[in-house]
Formats: sequence, structure tokens, C-alpha cells
Amino acid sequence: MKKVFLFVLIAALMMPLFANGDGEAAGSSAAFTPTKDITWYCTSKPGGGSDIYTRAISDAAVANGWLSKAPLINYKTDGAGEVGRNEVANTKQNADYTLLTFNSGDLMPMVANTPNRIKNFTPIAIMATDKQLLFINPEKAKYKTFAEALKAAQNGTQVVIAGSKGDDLELYGMLIKELGLKENQIAYITNDSTADAITSGLGGHVDLVMSKPAAASEYVKAGMLVPVLALSTSRFAGALSEAPTLKEVDSKYNDVELPVWRGIVGPAGMSEAAAKFYSDLAKKVSESKEWIEGYIQKNSLESSFMDYKEAKAYMEKYEADYLKKIGK
Amino acid sequence: MSNFAMLFRGFSVVFTFQNIAVCLLGAILGLIVGAMPGIGSLAGVALLLPLTYKFNPTTAIILLGSLYYSNMYGGSFSAILLNIPGDSPAVMTMLDGYPMAKKKKRPGQALFTANLASFVGGTIGMIILTFLGPGLANVGLHFGPQDMTALLLVAMTSIGWLVGKNPTQGVILTMLGILLACIGMDPQTGSPRYNFGNMYLMGGIPFVPFVIGTVGFSQVLRLMSEREDKVDEKQMVTQKLTIRGSMLTGHDVKRLLPPAIRSGVLGTFVGVLPGAGATTGAFLGYAMNKAFKSEEPFGTGAIEGIASCEAANNAAAAGAFAPLLALGIPGSGTGAVLLGGLMMWGLNPGPLLFTNNPDFAWGLIASLFLANILTLMISIGVIPFLIKILTVPVKVIIPIVLVICMVGSYANTYSMYGVVVMIIAGLVSYICEKSGYSTAPMLLSFVLAPLLENNMRKAFITSQGSVGIFFTSPISCAFMVILFAIVLTPVVRGIIASTKKKKEA
Repeated sequence: MKKVFLFVLIAALMMPLFANGDGEAAGSSAAFTPTKDITWYCTSKPGGGSDIYTRAISDAAVANGWLSKAPLINYKTDGAGEVGRNEVANTKQNADYTLLTFNSGDLMPMVANTPNRIKNFTPIAIMATDKQLLFINPEKAKYKTFAEALKAAQNGTQVVIAGSKGDDLELYGMLIKELGLKENQIAYITNDSTADAITSGLGGHVDLVMSKPAAASEYVKAGMLVPVLALSTSRFAGALSEAPTLKEVDSKYNDVELPVWRGIVGPAGMSEAAAKFYSDLAKKVSESKEWIEGYIQKNSLESSFMDYKEAKAYMEKYEADYLKKIGK
Repeated sequence: MSNFAMLFRGFSVVFTFQNIAVCLLGAILGLIVGAMPGIGSLAGVALLLPLTYKFNPTTAIILLGSLYYSNMYGGSFSAILLNIPGDSPAVMTMLDGYPMAKKKKRPGQALFTANLASFVGGTIGMIILTFLGPGLANVGLHFGPQDMTALLLVAMTSIGWLVGKNPTQGVILTMLGILLACIGMDPQTGSPRYNFGNMYLMGGIPFVPFVIGTVGFSQVLRLMSEREDKVDEKQMVTQKLTIRGSMLTGHDVKRLLPPAIRSGVLGTFVGVLPGAGATTGAFLGYAMNKAFKSEEPFGTGAIEGIASCEAANNAAAAGAFAPLLALGIPGSGTGAVLLGGLMMWGLNPGPLLFTNNPDFAWGLIASLFLANILTLMISIGVIPFLIKILTVPVKVIIPIVLVICMVGSYANTYSMYGVVVMIIAGLVSYICEKSGYSTAPMLLSFVLAPLLENNMRKAFITSQGSVGIFFTSPISCAFMVILFAIVLTPVVRGIIASTKKKKEA
């Protein structure tokens, strides 16, 4: 009796092994509307620019009722984000309910270090372009303007910039190339996230902090960070307008910028209908008041929307250009 | 004393029915989440966060804050009863908690000690947070990479306490821990290293599955191989299963207070430091208290051992709120999720949070005091039920613990990678333990090595390769002096002793 009972119990417990979760919803040829939870992957730590961006889109979508429920945001920062990107690329089941925040700063290390490419994803939209600035800590900085820091570097004192990985690191490379300086004259400390870079700046351990406006805005408002160089072809607006561009600092240099595009992608296995749905959703968000006032203006970004077809062409070209640049 | 006035204002925010209920809920959930191996405060907070979307921000942060805090209480439960830490800060609790429960047959007292020490440590942390909060956060900022490096080097010497009888074996395992920690991405250049071309290894070895495997899975294997000893099971429950039966004597309480207070202060401070969280706090608290006298030696079930790490991890959890609230800088992974939550609720974490949203910030701090008391009462109340776990026969415990370990490892990496790491780590650890190697040094070095490497390289970039940077900064100079003292004292003593011998001979 006991043995029979045990056998039945084991058989019952093994049932879930055979209950495979349902994959694609039936009838995927019709227009897509989400019926399940959407998982949105973000490959950077919470608090940084990518996180703020992801939440801004999701909040605008929910506030206007275009999504009934906020997507579940999954922070997968392992492998500097490569594991998360790889997972999304290989997602077959639930591909229609998986989104990934994907920026140019994610694409560059991805193609440099892994065999992953844009063709493994379904581009959905490009929402905005972001640029960087250099900041100083007014209380502790040795150099109060970028011109001073530059002169010190040229005269042999090392100047240290702290920034995040990915596109910040790439921009640093472009900056020292334009200035004609070497890496040990202006050094760069890579941090996992902009928040860590700002922390070291606030502590006075580095001379300059490279950051995009979104992550630094609260500190600028509190007066703890002051912008000293705009890495762009024109000055920023609002509280960041006091920072000159490189050409304004010294006219013999050209402006240096590396616009970071911020986009959304899905797995390659995403259906066309789902991609169109998300692309239309992104377009509505990009025109919404919450997005424009609450994110774009607040963080001094440029709104530049591209839908899924334009985004695909743009991202593929960007990837091809970058691959050529690094010699792959 | 304006902070005190603000604190009272915070209490008035907390004492509404909704907030008290939510504080209680967070405390209970935190205990459960903390007790389960592998599922720690990070998972708990991350899972609950979307549910709090529509809440009033103060209510939401009280829920999550009390969950984060009571998680430190819960972690000790499974550490003491099953020799499997509920989360990483509880690893050290295991070293003394389990022997006290098993060998000394005082599980109730062990749990009581852990709870009381957690309460003391947490209270100290919160008092320091209340009065010195923003200032403390600024002190944390002063710790540059060279200061952190020096501090971590001192912390690494504490591994020396853990190597036990055979120092060579201890060093081998320490080095193995450091080597394993190097697998992944180079923190400064972003290029992969030691990953054998494998995408998963590019992310490094995830800490939580590694700990669960090293400690939990190997414990399961040990239980499986020792199943012949049925004698133990009956003898375990000679103790009365009541709260009164688990209470500590006055003498025991006197023993636990000094280490708890010392660890409380140290833990708060460690929690404030950027990058160091409750786990590092617990390690350092345990190591520091080993230097002081205790009635029983550490590692055999000493009350002082349990008290020192439990107080430290609670204090560190409280301390971690200082940089989060005062500067908007998360001190740990869980802090980062809380930060995301703050933004989700429409607040702007940053230096202006205390000024712009005082009710929120002080409400949170006041709620931590409340959570502390509530969690203490609940955890003491459940002690008799927890002891009952020890009466469960081993053949039932093994599969349950195994499943919990696997779920915890999977939940950490959202893939079978975590489970694979856990199994391999467990097998290796089991073989090590059977051969007489203790794996505690490997765990400690695995935790500290990435922090040490990151900070050391940043320091050297800033100094352009010169070692002088460690001596020009006052904080790091002080730590370097302590480091030399610790390293050279035994050598000097040895020389003096041998010269004395030569003179007498």
C-alpha cells in the first residue's frame, strides 16, 4: 500500500516535467496584442542611463494606457551584459514578449568580444541620441576648467578621467586622439557604471568625470558637479549650458562627439507583427508628453525616432562601420 | 539635535496603520526569504519591486527596507540549523552557529544569540545612521581606490585566522579563490579572460551559486555519505522545544554583548563604504573579534563567534542606507535595486533627497527601528518551530535542501549556469573537506579579490604605477601601517623567541 502510494506521489510530482510552457500564441498572423507579461532586459546596473531610459519608456506606455501592465525589468549585467544580450538573441519561446534595451555602447563591446551580431536581433526602434559631458567636483577639483586640465596634461601632470565602460571608453579614445595626447597623459579609469564614476568624482579621487546628462543631473542641481566640457558639436541646454565645446575651448581642435543612440531590440525569433506593435508603441511614446518633458528635456537628450525598418538599416550600417574600424 | 527632531517626525510618518502593517509584512517576508539558501535580499527586493509600483513611496520603501533588513536575521536560521547559509552574509554565522547547534546541543540558544546580536548590531547601525547619516556618507566618499586597497589588504590578512591547522593548505585554497575570481571580464579594459571561449564564463563565476555549492551542496553530499549514523537524530532533541528552554543565561548575554557592539560599529562603517556590503561586513566583524578573548575558541560553537558576524551584517545593512539616502549612491546590489525603486516612485535619489523629501527619508529610517523590534520579536517567537526542523530525519532533509539549493542557484542566474556552478563547486568542496582542507579561506578570498583588484588597478592608474600613492593618502597610510604590523608581528616574535632560545642554550 505504502509503495503504491509512493509511486503515485512520484508520478504526480513528475507531471510538471511534461507540461511545457506554451510558446507562441496561436494565430500569430493577426495583429499582435500582448496577452502575457513582457520581460524587458536591461544590461546595465539600475541607476545608470540605460535604466532611466528603460523606465521612462515603460512609465510613459503604462501612464497612457498603451500597455496594460508595466513590463518586468530584468537587470542582467553578467559578462558585462554579454550574457543578457546573448540570451535575448537566442530566445525562441516567448520571443514576442522579450525586449532588450540596446544602445550603441552595448553594440561596440558585443561585436568586439563575442560573435553576436545585429542579425541575431530584431531591431524595433531608436528613441533618442545621448551625448556626454565632462564634469568636475567644484570643491575638490584641481582644475576648474577643461582648459586648465588640458594645459596640465600637456605640461606633464597626469589628468584622470573616470567614466563608464563601452561608449564612454571609446569616446575617451577619440578625445585623446583629437588632443594629440597619449593615454598616460590623460588617463581613463573604467567603471562598471556611471554611478561608480560619479562616486569617485564626488570623493575627489579623479580630476574629471565623464557622464551623460541623465545620470548627472541631480548632482548638477545640488551643485556637487559642474560641467566643464560638452562632448558635442553644440552646447547643451539648461543647467548644462555653461560647458563649452572643445572648439570653443581651443579653436585649433575640432569638436569631439560620439552620439550614443538608444534603441530597443527584440530577439531574432520575434514575429513581424510583434515588432510592428512595439515599433508603433515606441513611436507613440516618443511623441508623448511624459517622454518629451519627463525624459528628453529633463536629461538634455535629442529625440530622434526611427521605426523598426529604419532602425534596422541604421544599426546594421553602424555595425558594419564599427567592424571595419576595429579591423574585423 | 535637529536629526533627533527629524527622527521623531519620521516616527509620526511610520505610525500609521498602513505603514506598520507593511513593515510587519516586510519583516516576515524578509525572514522567509533570508532563511532560504540562494534567495537573498536582492531577489526578494527585485521580485517585490514591481508590485509596489502604485504604492505611496514612503509605504513602498518601508516594505522593501524592512525586507532587506530582516533578511539579515533570516539568513542565520538555515546557517545554524542546516549548515547552509541563507545568504552570503550568513556564511560566517555557519562557522560557529552549526557547531553550537549540533555538537553542543544548544540550537535554541544559538538562534537566540543570533537574533539578539542582530538586534544589537542593527540598533547601533541605525543610531549611527540617524545622527551621522549624511556625514558618514561623505566619509565613505573619501575612501578612494588606494584607501580601499589598503583596507582590503588588511582584510585579506584576516584569512590567516581561518586557515586552521595547516597554513599551506589554507594558502593554496586562498590562491584558488583568487584565481577563480579572475575569471570573467577584465574590469579596466573590458576584455574577457580565462573564459575558454565560453560566453557564460565571460561573466565570471557567480558568487551566490558558488557559495551555495561550496557550502550547501557539499553539506548535502556529506549528509548523504554519513547516513549510517542514525544515533545523532534521536539525541538532538533533548532540549525543550519552548522559548524558555532556548533562552540565554545572563552570563551568555554578557558574553555576546562586547563582540556584538564592536561588530556593530565596524559593520556600520563597512556598510557605508562603496562596494562593500553586508557580506564583507560579516567577514571583517568575525575576523576582528577573533583577536579578542572568548571563552570558547571560535569555530567550535562560541557565542562570541555568532554574535560578531550577525551584529556586523545587520549593522552593515543599516549603514548601506547612508550613501543611498544621502547621496543616491547604492552601496550594494540590493541598494541598486532600491535606487531603481526610488526613481520608479517618482523621487529623485541624490544629494537633495533629504532636503526635498524629508518625510520619506526619515520615515524610512524610523521604520528600520520598528522593523528591528518587530523582527526580533517574530524571530524569537518562531525559535521553537525552527528547532523542530532538527527533528526531521536526514533522509527527508537531503532532498528538500537539495531542491532549495538548486532553485536558489537557478534564480540567481536565470539559467542552468548557476546550477552547474553550484554542483561543480559542491563536488570540489566536498573533495577538499574530505582531504582535510577547509574551504572558508577560498570563500573569503573569492569575495575580496575582485574588489581588491579593481581598486588596486584604479589606484595604480591614478598614480601612474607608483606605490607611493598608498602612503600619501592619510587613510591608506594608516591601513598600510596596520598591515605591516599584522604581517610582521609574528615574524618579530619568532625572531625574539629564537634569539632568547639561543641565549639560553
